[in-house]
Order: sequence, then structure tokens, then C-alpha cells
Amino acid sequence: MEVKSRMRRTASVAMVALMGLGLAACSAGEADADLNPDEVSGEISLLTPIFEGSPGQDLLEDELLPQFYEEYPNVTVNVDYTTYGNLNEKLTTAVVSGLVPDVMLMGVGWIEAFADKGVLADLGELGLNEADLKESYTDEIVEAGMWDGNVYAVPIMLDTRFGVARMDILKEAGYDSPPSSWEELIEIAEATTVRSSNGSLERAGFDMMSLDARQAFETMLFSAGGALFNEDATAPAFNSDEGVAALGLMADLVNKYEVEDIGFTSTDDIVNPLINGRAAMGIAHNNLWTQALEADETVLDNLEPFVIQGDASGMFFGGTLATVANNSKNPQAARALLEFLSSPDAALAANEQRGNVPALTELLDSDYVQSNRFVQFAMENLEVAQREGGPSQWLEVRGDFAPAVQAALLGQKSAEEALDDLAALVQTSIDR
Amino acid sequence: MTLPTIKALAISEEITVAPRKRWFHHAKGRQAVLVNVLLSLGAITMLVPFLWMVLTSLKSPAELAQFPPTVLPQEWMWSNYAATLDAAPFGLYFRNSLVIATTHTLITIALGAMAGYALARIYFRGREAIFLAFIAMLMIPTYTKIVPQFLLVKFMPLFGGNDILGQGGSGWLDTWWALIIPGGLSASAIFLFRQFYLSLPKDLEEAARIDGLGEFRIFAQIYTPLIKPAIATVGLLTFQESWNNFLWPLLVTTSSDLRVIQVGLAVFQQLDNTQWQYLMAGTTMATVPMVVLFIFAQKYFIQGFTNAGIK
Repeated sequence: MEVKSRMRRTASVAMVALMGLGLAACSAGEADADLNPDEVSGEISLLTPIFEGSPGQDLLEDELLPQFYEEYPNVTVNVDYTTYGNLNEKLTTAVVSGLVPDVMLMGVGWIEAFADKGVLADLGELGLNEADLKESYTDEIVEAGMWDGNVYAVPIMLDTRFGVARMDILKEAGYDSPPSSWEELIEIAEATTVRSSNGSLERAGFDMMSLDARQAFETMLFSAGGALFNEDATAPAFNSDEGVAALGLMADLVNKYEVEDIGFTSTDDIVNPLINGRAAMGIAHNNLWTQALEADETVLDNLEPFVIQGDASGMFFGGTLATVANNSKNPQAARALLEFLSSPDAALAANEQRGNVPALTELLDSDYVQSNRFVQFAMENLEVAQREGGPSQWLEVRGDFAPAVQAALLGQKSAEEALDDLAALVQTSIDR
Repeated sequence: MTLPTIKALAISEEITVAPRKRWFHHAKGRQAVLVNVLLSLGAITMLVPFLWMVLTSLKSPAELAQFPPTVLPQEWMWSNYAATLDAAPFGLYFRNSLVIATTHTLITIALGAMAGYALARIYFRGREAIFLAFIAMLMIPTYTKIVPQFLLVKFMPLFGGNDILGQGGSGWLDTWWALIIPGGLSASAIFLFRQFYLSLPKDLEEAARIDGLGEFRIFAQIYTPLIKPAIATVGLLTFQESWNNFLWPLLVTTSSDLRVIQVGLAVFQQLDNTQWQYLMAGTTMATVPMVVLFIFAQKYFIQGFTNAGIK
């Protein structure tokens, strides 16, 4: 059995590697066929929410761009660093003024809005198509860069959310493995919750509040087998039975099973409660591994990632994708840079620097991925990962999710009411 | 050893407490105690976040992860400050912030005082309407002005490759002009100056005119020296606002050479991971100039009030 499994694993890795090589050759070949490095020239600008800070800047300017210039000596890149927190403002003002950067890195769920406004170049016209991309990326990840059937972005890195259990705490409570169903999740969460004699919470059985409420809900929604929007993204689907069940479970975990209290943890906490043992399980970002590595290495052996399993497997992914401006004066140079940044070596370096999950399937074998159990786990389960976004109004409405989720958790509204009200709000935006 | 009797305790308490009781029952004493308690509470409330910031800046990531959290660092990580300075060119950012905040303050004091004086002491048609327009400007939220202001800067004629109609180039974007000119003067500064100039007696102006002084000399030599509190207040507020400005410098600059300290600090706050020890070390360093300035400005502020009171 074990041998079979190992053989299957080796075969799959070999296949992935071959596919990767094939794509790399294909991409390189296409690039060579379409782009003659000596003929590609011009000054282009790059707006990036990754590579900020000294290590990132050093990586980009001292390592990656020199490699790019070696290949494309007649291209000059001016870099504009920002953070994700302010990327939308930078992009919006850039679009309004007409000074759109030639190459823009942006998040999953963002492509739709900017592609719909005509800001982004159709990469199909620049020689990158869906079929080629799907050979080296998981389908869902390629689709995160598409709008209206066309490719507008190429993924560079992913960040994922999944369940994480503190196995030392679970073992103390008599459990050998993380939960494999909602029922088990409730049971283990109840068993590992600790309250003092006066009832105040000392350890949460399942923490959902140290990450964004929207992302926590989305992870649970996906585990219920639900979706955010209908297939053509013209109507909300999160208020379906699955959505109501997911938010209902979250509310029950707080109000009925009392495995976490509102305010016990928050997104502003200095450290994730799984690291210092204030939570036995929770939904966490893959960078929990690097956080723990920095804060308390001894806890790493006890952190066990798991896909939250309901009627489906719940895992959420966001990420950073590279795009080209539709009105770029040097589209070939911009395309060259986009291809370079999303190429295996550059993408791996960027992921390693930020502790993120490479989007390229072939990078599963890299030392970096193999050395980071959470990143490895994320990559091994990308098939079940789902993203947020869908309609072009996503950036407008995504901020409405957290208040709706919180209203249900606080018991101000039932899960159904909260989601129906939210759906009405979202539908109005879509119809506008 | 024998225990003191209740009577003995009562006597000793009476002896030691009685004078304090008398003092406490004195109305002024009670009031002073109450004021001191309230002021102490206020001071503690103000100081605790600041202390927390400094102490956090001196902890290791491992200590920050501990629960319950420690108050004092177990190991004082002074190296966090060096690491923070290494993370980004903070010297450059600091210089840029200082240049921008100082220039904003000087422009605001010079032009704001002139505008305030004109609105308060020079009679001309439409003066009230202009003043009402300034009041209306106070009510416009900053965020709603960002895009129009950005467009003004981008389409600035004859700059950054723009033609006379402001087309074809980038205007003032990514230049010192964009960082300095739009924030150089605010409606609130003009409003404050106007109110101070209005409060001064008209006799001074009449006497100055009899002595043959022109309008500018009346403004510069007679009235403006009397509004030192206004100058100190507006100067301090302008410097603080400019020093803490984040969004505008981020939007109008693309090159690192023009970035300011608040934008620089953002590198420690990534989407899903904040390096608290570095962020707090950077924030502590960024706070120092404001604290120093406030200490100095406070001195002049009080002096200004005193002078105004004497006159």
C-alpha cells in the first residue's frame, strides 16, 4: 500500500515535472518566437505590492531585474513599490489619470474589475493563452486571471487559508488526527476549549477570528460545497443552503458550542493564537509556518494543516497575478517582464522571500516548498482550493461581507437573514 | 510580640490621619486632589500606548508571541532599531518628511496669515462670501478631494512633459512640486488666523495708519506679532498633519527617492503578517521629532499667550 502510494506520488511528481518542463520550453519557445530580445526595447513601469521592504527590494533590484536586463538589454524598468493595503488607491488614481503602469501585480478577485474597465491587456493577443497556462497551473488558478473568456493575468504566488490544528493539544484531549468532518470539528473544538472557573475563555477550541471574517466565511462556505456567485457571476450564490449552513455553523461554534468568544482574538493580534496555544484549532494563512518559525520554532512539530471537510473540501486561495496595461506604449517589453516575473525561477524567489505558495505546479518539488510543510500542503491540495471574486464589482462589495458575518456571529441576525441582506446589497451593485 | 489593641490603633490613626483629614476637608484641597487625580489619569491614558509602543519595539518575536504578554522585555532587543533602519532607507525618508513638513509649515504660516488678515481686517466686496467658501471647504472630506487633486497635479501645464493644455506628460507627478504645493495651505489654517486677527483691537490699526504705515506693514509689524499663539498652534498642527501624511505621498510618488517616513513604515505591515517589533521601532523613531517639536512649540505657545495678555 505504502509502496503503491509512493509510486503514485513519484509518478505524479514526474508528470508534473514533465508538464512543467514542457510549459517552460513552450513558453520560452513562444517567447523566443514572438519576442526577439534585441528588438524588444523601451522604458516600462512596474507597480508591485510584493517585493516591498528591503529584502524584497534587494531581491528584485539586485537579483531578478539584472537577470531580466541580461535577456532584454534594451528594456528599462521603473519600479513603484506599494503595499496591498494601498494598491487599490494607487491603481484607481492611475486609471483615472490615464497613467497606468505598464506591468501591474494585483490580487485574485481584482482582475475582473480592471479587465472590465478595459485597463488590462488581453494576454491572448500577446501570445499567452488559457490552454498553455492550464498545463502548468491548476485550472481554478488560471481562471482567477481570466475575465469574459480571455486571459488577463498570469499567477505568480498564492496565499491560502486552511485548517490548522495544534496536535499536542488535540492529543491531550484524546484525538490523534485533525477533524475530517464538521461533526468532528465541533466535537474536538468542544473538547479542547478551556474556560476558567468564572467562565472566561482561556483557550479557543476553534479560532475563526484572527483572520478576516470574509475569508473565514469563504473557507467554511467552500467546505459546505457552496459558491460565492452563480456560474456567470451575475448573481450571488453565497446565500444558498450551503452558505446558510456554513455561516450557521460559524455562529453555532460561537453561541451554541461556545468554542470561541467574540473578541477573544482579532486580526490585529501580534501573534496567531495557534502559536502561543490560545487556540487548539483554527483557520489560518499558510504563512503561519514562517510566523511560527520566527516566534517559536518548537511549536512547528505540533502544527498540523488540514482541509476543512464538510460536504466538500474547504480551502481558500488568494494571490498575486501579473498583468499588462492595455495602453502600454511598450507592450512587448511589458509582456517580456510579465513572463519573466511569472517564470519558475523568479516566481520561486519571490515566493520564498514572502513565505508564500508558488502557483506553478512544477515548483512543488523545489527545496523551498519541500522545506515548508504548510506551503507543501497548500500545493498538494490546490485542486480543491477555491478563490474569491467573480463579478467585476467584487472590489466594491467585498467589504460588505465582514459586517454581515459579524452580525450573524453576534446573534444580531440569523445566518439566513444576514446572507440574504448581503445578497440583496451585492445584487444591487451587480445590477447597477 | 504583642499585637496592638484596637484602641491603640485608633489613637495612632487619629494622630497621623487627623491633620490630613483637616487638609482634605478644605475645599481648595479637595479640588486640587480631584484635579490632580484626573490629570494623572489623563496622563497615564496618554502615556500607556506610547510606553507600550516603545516596549514592543524592544522585544523579540518569540517574546511578542508569549501569552500572557510580558510588560518589560525579558531581553532588551536594541538591535530592532538597527534592523528597522536597515529595512529601508529611513534616513532618506526622514529627510524628505522633514523638508515637506517644514515647507508646508512655512508656507501655511506665511500665506495663511496673509489670507486670514485680509479676511479679518480688510474690507472688500465679497469678503463674507469668500469666508463662507473657506468654511465650506472645511467640510469636504479629504478622501473626496484625492482624485481631483491628483488630476490637477497630473495635468499641470508645462511640467513633466505636459503641453500648455496639460496633455502628454506626467505633470507634477513624482516631483517635489506634487508633495509640497497641494498641501501647502489649508482652509483650516486660514480660518484660525482670521479668528485671531478678528480678536485684535481696531485702535492699533487706526494708530498705525495715522503714523503712516501701509497695509503690509500693519499686517507684518503691528498685528502679526500679537498672534504668536495662532502661529504656534497653526504651525504645530500643520507640521503634525504633514509629517503624518501617508496617502498623498504614496499616490503621487513612484520613485523611492521621494518617499516619506510614513510610507516607509508601511513595509512592516504586509497583508497577512505584521513585523510588530520593527513597526513599533520605526514608529518610535518617527514620533521623536514630533515630541521634540511639541516641547519647543509648547514653550513658545505659552510665551505667545503671555505676551498677548500683557499687550
